[in-house]
Amino acid sequence: MPNYILYAIPKILIMVGFLFNVGGILTWVDRRQSAMIQDRVGPNRAVIKIGKFELRLWGLLHPAADGVKFFFKEDFMPPKADKLLFSLAPILAMIPVLCLVAVIPFGDTVCPDALIQTVGNVTQLPNIARSGLCTFDPRTGLQPIDLQIVSLDIGLLFVFAMAGQGIVSAAISGWSSDNKFSLMGALRASSQMVSYEVTLGLSVVGALMIYGTLRLGDMVRWQSEHAWGIFVQPVAFFIFFAALVAESKRIPFDLPEAESELVSGYFTEYSGMKFGMFYFAEYMEIVTSSMLVVTVFLGGWGLPFVHRDGITIAFGEGMLAQLPLPHLVVTVFGVLAFFIKTLTLCWIQTFVRWSLPRFRYDQLMGLCWKVLLPVSLANIFVTGVVWLLLDMAPPFVGNMLQLVGDATQGFVAVLVTFLVGSAVFGLFRSRTKDPRIIGASAELVRSAGKSPQSPMQA
Amino acid sequence: MTIGQVYFYLCAAVALFGALAAVCAKSPVRAALGLLMMVLAVAGLYLSLDAQFLAAIQLIVYAGAIVVLFVFVLMLLGHTPLVGVGDGSPAARILGATGFGAVALAAMILSARNAEPTNFPAALPAGFGSVGEIGRLMFTQTLVPFELSSALLMVAVVGAVAVSKGEKPVIVAAASVLAPPGAAPKPGESQ
Repeated sequence: MPNYILYAIPKILIMVGFLFNVGGILTWVDRRQSAMIQDRVGPNRAVIKIGKFELRLWGLLHPAADGVKFFFKEDFMPPKADKLLFSLAPILAMIPVLCLVAVIPFGDTVCPDALIQTVGNVTQLPNIARSGLCTFDPRTGLQPIDLQIVSLDIGLLFVFAMAGQGIVSAAISGWSSDNKFSLMGALRASSQMVSYEVTLGLSVVGALMIYGTLRLGDMVRWQSEHAWGIFVQPVAFFIFFAALVAESKRIPFDLPEAESELVSGYFTEYSGMKFGMFYFAEYMEIVTSSMLVVTVFLGGWGLPFVHRDGITIAFGEGMLAQLPLPHLVVTVFGVLAFFIKTLTLCWIQTFVRWSLPRFRYDQLMGLCWKVLLPVSLANIFVTGVVWLLLDMAPPFVGNMLQLVGDATQGFVAVLVTFLVGSAVFGLFRSRTKDPRIIGASAELVRSAGKSPQSPMQA
Repeated sequence: MTIGQVYFYLCAAVALFGALAAVCAKSPVRAALGLLMMVLAVAGLYLSLDAQFLAAIQLIVYAGAIVVLFVFVLMLLGHTPLVGVGDGSPAARILGATGFGAVALAAMILSARNAEPTNFPAALPAGFGSVGEIGRLMFTQTLVPFELSSALLMVAVVGAVAVSKGEKPVIVAAASVLAPPGAAPKPGESQ
């Protein structure tokens, strides 16, 4: 068996395992999050009971209970449905999401020779150079390993190609259900996704011009050397993120499955595991879109000031501190950074869902075609002009930019430290000191003069 | 048989099956999905020819946009299976199938006879089929056809907008004539 296939198997297991597990846990996060925002307790009834011993795990057993329930529910199919297409649609919803992770890098290229070396009886963790080239040792015959299932020349285009295939699933599920709500949902889904796909593609063109590559791994390398994409292309970041949320058809873009208008849109007629696949595909789409944003705009596996040879805190030419780290440590840091960034962004996406109201349909289309698309076109133009001007600029401008880029790295480091610190502080703060955490709205009603009305009406 | 040959025959079989499904299916949406299958299989064939960029564009444009638009239009038109379409007399069917089969067979035989790989370079040039190389070709050697084709698309877009705009001013005038006397024009609406 060729080496690259042998290496690919663990990488596939890591990525797909992460996708499935985080997708499952996200269903729980989403519900607990909504409960927190809406002042409820949230799901906590699933329990494993052995004698007196009860295992609840804050409702974490609910995803498992859901899975069991999906399998044992009646698999109902409308009598006039197109049986083939009806069964095909949930499969087509899952496949593109699973294919998409193939090109996303979760760590820097690993030099297997340099991970652990044993000379005589001494085991050591060697360092490697910042340039990142592996010294190939013909005795072991181990090639450098990309921590990416496959490194394609077309990289990001492959992502767009796969993202486009999800539309067909929504369209045929609605059509084959023989239900007018499903059909309306499918019409909305396909028009929305086709529209936002255009914006999605055009929004990153500016970033692609700057990175000069479509390979996702090289994009991350550019960002570690210069500055994160969110600082280089802030407009593109917001448009890309909005278009990705719209592509995954979640609030505020959940018109295709608006429950107050269309029951549940194009998968109204689905039950059992077929519904489960649509439901799960949506949560996996959150994970893949987070991975994509992390890779293109948030530095991928990169950490501020961490390079392949260790930590180097430098602003332009001025070096402040340097700490060499072994290759193994840097690699582990990188992989952890990628997955933690992804999880953070997943959490932000679930938070967005419970913070914003749904758009009206004309607002949705207007936002895409009249706001986001022209802005992303303007972004491409401005990026091109600035790029041209920088090409002609004297060298000190380049040095200035490098200084600014390093400053953004410092900014990220400080910001993340502050956020993590305040999160830890908030986690260990005593809850009883703030009586409004639980029952806040009831408290408001009482303080508004014992009115039976809700605080909204009062 | 090498892995490459297995891959080729697999993709070719799927493409043929999809093409047949597109032609034979009674339900128009199934026909559109047959087309999608064919498009995907052909993209797979492009991959085996070192044309990754072309395969991606095939997926984005044909599978992700054009087939979806077909399905979209079919959904707008509603649930009418193609019953009664193409039910000609048996003689006409046999004649048509024979004629098409003969032409297809002749084309296959002719292309197989001329398919000696005389003009193939022994090794592909560096970067063949990559995004960078295609971009370089497109903006140097074939710049004029590229710009002309984009101008053609632009004309088509402008034409579509012009056609869909229709005769709006006339309709507005008719509505104001039909409005009952004394009805005040809505705010923001010009007379």
